[in-house]
Amino acid sequence: MGFVAPLILAGLAALAIPVLIHLIQRERKRVVEFPSLMFLSRIPYQSVRRRRIRDWALLAMRLAALALIVMAFARPFFKRDSLAAATQQGAREAVILVDTSYSMEYGDRWTRARAAARDAISGLSAGDRASLVFFSSGAEVAVRSSADRGRLDAGLASAATGPGATRFAPAIKLAASLLAESALPRREIVLISDFQRRGWEQTPGRDDVKLPERTVLTPVDVASGETANLSVTPVSLQRTRFENHDRIAVTAGLVNHSTKPVSGVQLSLEVDGQSIQSLPASAAPGGSSSVTFAPFTVASRNMRASVKLPDDALKRDNVFHFVVSPSEPVRVFVIGRAGAERQSLYLARALAIGESPRVELVTRTPTAFSDADARQAAVVILNDIQAPDDLADRLARFVREGGGLLLATGPQATWPARLADVVPALPGDLIDRTTTTPSRLGALEYSHPVFELFRAPRSGDFSSARFYGYRATGQPAGQVLARFDDGTPALLERKTGAGRVLMWTSSLDLDWNDMPVKPVFLPFVHTLAKYLADYAEAPASLTVGQVIPAPRRTAGRGSATNRGGTIAIAPSGTRVSVETEDGALELNEQGFYDVRTQGAGSDSATALAANVDLGESDLTPLDARELAAAVAGRAPGEIAGLGAARPSDDAQAQAQRLWWYLLVAGGLLLAGETLLSNRLSQSGARVS
Amino acid sequence: MRNEIQAGGLTGARFVDPVVLARVGNLELVARAVVDGFINGMHRSPYFGASVDFAEHRGYTAGDDIRRVDWKLFGRTDRFYIKEYEADTNANFAVLLDVSKSMGFGSRGITKLEYGKILAGCLTYLVHRQRDRVGFAAFDEDIVEFVPPSAKHMEVTLHVLDRLKPTRPGKLAPPMKKLAEHYARRGLLVLVSDFYEEPQAVLEAVAPLRFRGHDMIVFHVLDPAEIEFNYDQASAFEDLESGEQIPVVPESLAEQYRALIREHSEALRSKFSELRIDYALLNTSTPLDQALFKYLSMREQLSRVKR
Repeated sequence: MGFVAPLILAGLAALAIPVLIHLIQRERKRVVEFPSLMFLSRIPYQSVRRRRIRDWALLAMRLAALALIVMAFARPFFKRDSLAAATQQGAREAVILVDTSYSMEYGDRWTRARAAARDAISGLSAGDRASLVFFSSGAEVAVRSSADRGRLDAGLASAATGPGATRFAPAIKLAASLLAESALPRREIVLISDFQRRGWEQTPGRDDVKLPERTVLTPVDVASGETANLSVTPVSLQRTRFENHDRIAVTAGLVNHSTKPVSGVQLSLEVDGQSIQSLPASAAPGGSSSVTFAPFTVASRNMRASVKLPDDALKRDNVFHFVVSPSEPVRVFVIGRAGAERQSLYLARALAIGESPRVELVTRTPTAFSDADARQAAVVILNDIQAPDDLADRLARFVREGGGLLLATGPQATWPARLADVVPALPGDLIDRTTTTPSRLGALEYSHPVFELFRAPRSGDFSSARFYGYRATGQPAGQVLARFDDGTPALLERKTGAGRVLMWTSSLDLDWNDMPVKPVFLPFVHTLAKYLADYAEAPASLTVGQVIPAPRRTAGRGSATNRGGTIAIAPSGTRVSVETEDGALELNEQGFYDVRTQGAGSDSATALAANVDLGESDLTPLDARELAAAVAGRAPGEIAGLGAARPSDDAQAQAQRLWWYLLVAGGLLLAGETLLSNRLSQSGARVS
Repeated sequence: MRNEIQAGGLTGARFVDPVVLARVGNLELVARAVVDGFINGMHRSPYFGASVDFAEHRGYTAGDDIRRVDWKLFGRTDRFYIKEYEADTNANFAVLLDVSKSMGFGSRGITKLEYGKILAGCLTYLVHRQRDRVGFAAFDEDIVEFVPPSAKHMEVTLHVLDRLKPTRPGKLAPPMKKLAEHYARRGLLVLVSDFYEEPQAVLEAVAPLRFRGHDMIVFHVLDPAEIEFNYDQASAFEDLESGEQIPVVPESLAEQYRALIREHSEALRSKFSELRIDYALLNTSTPLDQALFKYLSMREQLSRVKR
């Protein structure tokens, strides 16, 4: 209850004056100041003696009459009723959000969630509309704004839990957009979930989630009691090379999401369906531990491996799948002048170091580079040579089919002008800096993949190398990735056909610069080779919900010109067609996917391992009020939407009509008091 | 004067009675004496270097700000180099001090408000020395003073603290709700009050601040007389805030009263722990070390988590 003019209530204080005087007079002896009587007043106190009041009824009537009149002038109204009446009028638009993440498979959570959703549907009145949305990592509308309960029930019947992880932000955003389309006066979101903390904290986009005005969020928590769950961790693979074969040691972990320690849990490793090894593991409450299996040899491509735990209340997080293949080297052909092997010495030594990827270096003279070489090569480096016409033609073809070419232009380098559309620029005049200050590398394009590695401070100092000579270029046709301090391009890139061409306008030996003896040279040539070969290490495992570009094999370039459509076979056996060009594959099942290119033979098949998001196995609950407060932008306890509602004028007048009754009652009491006091005074006079 | 206090007068400030500190008057002096004395007693220094650390030199490239060129190096090498720094981040810190009339109560020469002022001053001074931004808010039933967090606001805060007087009755919820809107950027908030409200109401008042993501420490300041209730004469007890009086016979009520205040403190402790807020009950007769130590150990825990 509230008052329109609460200040008038101060008049009530006057009523207490005679009573207070009575009380204070009795206890005047000593007054002790004390911060708060909050606790003292709770302790029952028995008064010793009270001054007798003779006419209780009369006093009560007078006080009551005065109180009623004062309250009438303060114009009381019932806040809750009026506002609730205003917001409870009219039809309702509801969005029922049902969590279908895999943590809902724990215990009876899913049964309870379905029951809660059925209750929400049966709670709809005539004229109400509701949408049904299932969410996990993403959100999907099952039934869009319908008043038909049959449709909603059918939509709910089709619901099933999936391998996704809980993410509240996209679901609430979708619900907000559905409600924004509605013209109905009342809006409500019913959020049915087990409210995992991980689903809200540390999720991107949570700060952007805001509910529209006048929207009520009703959380329905289906989690209960203490939880106990074990899960595996993503594996880490240690690759070693032994007698030309890759061997892999798998390290896997066990996480204990419960309050009791576990011991002797068997972690088993399976490769291609066969159990290889089983190791026991123990973990403290809320802790984790890891085991390393004995290394196994990677004999063929796409070997499917899994680490498994025994089944518990939540099964999906007890297995981790991954795929391993033998590492394939990047073949780099260096074409240099005959008899000038020293020229490629630094380059060859730098590329020979490193395992990820291994670089297989082949040296050729300009005349010896054949078509067969071009088919094998991933990258070709022209190290300061005059490119003859037939070699240039071959390389142009090589690049257009997807190869990578690096032109290092020292004093000798030339490139036929008729093939200028292949390279970023034609090598021009020599710029000699031996007589003046040597040049240094100035502006680098740190956003480009070639220099991205060196972006952070103290990760590669290019400015220490001195350049005494380099070649000018004409107007470059491609992007300039690095410049010397006089503005001349040092590294240029051009994308030609499906391939890439980089041009380094100085030499790769010590003739024109001291770059090869600087620490940055080794990582620099490795990133150049990786970038030109378009090398990306295939991930051993992926997560459900990831969208990946259709996998393609880089080896065997040129042979796959008859490439047909790409087909992915999901773990459940469903066939998904992936567009060859710019195609993408969404992983929405847990297990191994088989991706094949039609007409390219079984050699082109690639296996992908999709795992559930293991963060979901942490069942720590979130206070639903915290979520409601965060999305509503209001303090908890304040019902979202009610505060913003404006009742109509009629409703306000209705709610404030109480003053009229109070005034009449006060008047009647005063009349009664007059009669009673007259009678009492008369009888008193008679007695006296 | 300052040297005198640091060197002789107040050495071992950790054992100085708050009543003595309250008599010193100059809040900055008190804060300095307590904090320096306290810090000298710790093993690890809480000072964290300069706010910017030199990281590396880098060659000048077109477009760089010429003010950042290292001219000394240019003098030596005839080349342009840029000095690069790694900036430290600094956190927001604010003390929210209750200045309602009930805080004006003191039975042993220092009122709860004076104790709270010294505590706020010390924490502000300590945090300012760590190069964090300091702010301050005083409230009763509304916000009375507000100093937004800034690296330059220590003097202002101490000045504002000095002038505070208890004038009005207090109510926690309305000022907390307003303050939640003031502190947009996440930081560390220290709430100092005597919490004469129901624990649930206190929790609901504080929750908006916590839900904005602030880390919070709550100091519940009580006078020894409020905790021990060692009155002996039957008297009329008057509420400092409402002026209400009730007759009290201390002998018969003391036990029940102590049980109630213990219960209240325990209820607050458990309610705050639900929101993961650190709670400490401070008796104004105890030295300030306890509060400072609580604050520092909390900061240490936080930094350990972040690492």
